[in-house]
Amino acid sequence: MGRLVFLVPLLAAAGLGGAAEAHAFLRSASPRVGAQLAAAPRALRLSFSEPVEAGLSRITVSGPPGFSGAGAVRAAADDPAALVAPLPGAMPTGRYLVQWRVISADSHPTQGRFQFEVRP
Amino acid sequence: MSAPLCPPRPAVAASAASVLALAASLSWSPAHAHALAGDRFFPATLAVEDPGVADELSLPTVSHLEGDERSTEVSGEWSKRLTRSFGVSVGETWSRAAAPGEPARSGFANLETSAKWQALTDARREAVVAFGLSAEWSGTGAAGVGAERHTTFTPTFYFGKGAGDLPASLGWARPFALTGAVGYAVPSRSRAPGEAEDNPRVLQWGLTLQYSLPYLQSQVKDLGLPRPINGLVPIVEASFERPLTGRDRTTTGTVNPGLIWTGRRFQLGAEAMIPVNRASGRRVGAILQLHLYLDDLFPGSLGRPAW
Repeated sequence: MGRLVFLVPLLAAAGLGGAAEAHAFLRSASPRVGAQLAAAPRALRLSFSEPVEAGLSRITVSGPPGFSGAGAVRAAADDPAALVAPLPGAMPTGRYLVQWRVISADSHPTQGRFQFEVRP
Repeated sequence: MSAPLCPPRPAVAASAASVLALAASLSWSPAHAHALAGDRFFPATLAVEDPGVADELSLPTVSHLEGDERSTEVSGEWSKRLTRSFGVSVGETWSRAAAPGEPARSGFANLETSAKWQALTDARREAVVAFGLSAEWSGTGAAGVGAERHTTFTPTFYFGKGAGDLPASLGWARPFALTGAVGYAVPSRSRAPGEAEDNPRVLQWGLTLQYSLPYLQSQVKDLGLPRPINGLVPIVEASFERPLTGRDRTTTGTVNPGLIWTGRRFQLGAEAMIPVNRASGRRVGAILQLHLYLDDLFPGSLGRPAW
């Protein structure tokens, strides 16, 4: 009997496999993770492995003195798995830390952080 | 030889093909799944039980090692969260052993069940601490493949620690993580009827050192690695056991270098098994595993905590 218990998830997998959502992990970012930029970016765009709930997600950007922070996060118009946040026009040179926390469509939370640098 | 801290897994060999077929139908887009501590994802490891509590299915895990006899094991384990931090699992192993000049023996090992409590999850430090108790139940396996006639209980301490809290100047080292487990196996009776020797109490311990390329890509430096390389976690596992009672107190174990590929809903692992001494084996063996993230496959039903 004990051995038969393993058939339960297998049968479930066979019958239900398909359109499940998973944890949303960062697939790519603009600016790229660890990038060194010659010019300040106009916006931050994070693309995830799964659709995310923009209203429940958070992105913060911290940087050198004089940096006023990123604007409000919103869903990308062309991709339900991407979030965008505007950046101020004036960004002092230095390192910036991006911290994100998102909720995927199936309510799994994930988080991460990375840096990029704006050079003189 | 079985890996000391790798719970026996189910051996429904006929089901392996269907599971592999299922896996093949799933996306190969890199990302990962479950055991999380802050920015850190701890993949399920092959020889040393990971510290996370998750809804997951390891099926199959296949290993082969040659010592005094050639031993092949096919195993599986199903883990189910009852709450977000407490889960249970059931596992079984089918094994085949063949000594030179003797007929091969095969059959199921004793059924193993376990419970695990993920007591601490420190997101900032990427740290996890868990406690577990497993039991291998007497009378549920075949004596011909060494299934013991006593029940063995093993309380175990698990930990995991990511290096993500290192300073930015050591960014290249932040993808490293260390996990481990220490268990103490206690037989329900020192000698069961018909057994020739006393059953020893056994110390079991293991460590893994892993370097996550997904972590490197998404947290430190996007190197533009292509698929499937951007989902790889190079890893070295070391798993040992040593009887603390009885006549033979030889330490046995293997050191397993290998790779784990993490996907959105499953992972694949392959490792060499290098015996640490002659008592552990005579040739380098191998272990392979398909591991399904049930919480990502079935987030609204099978893959979520019962309560």
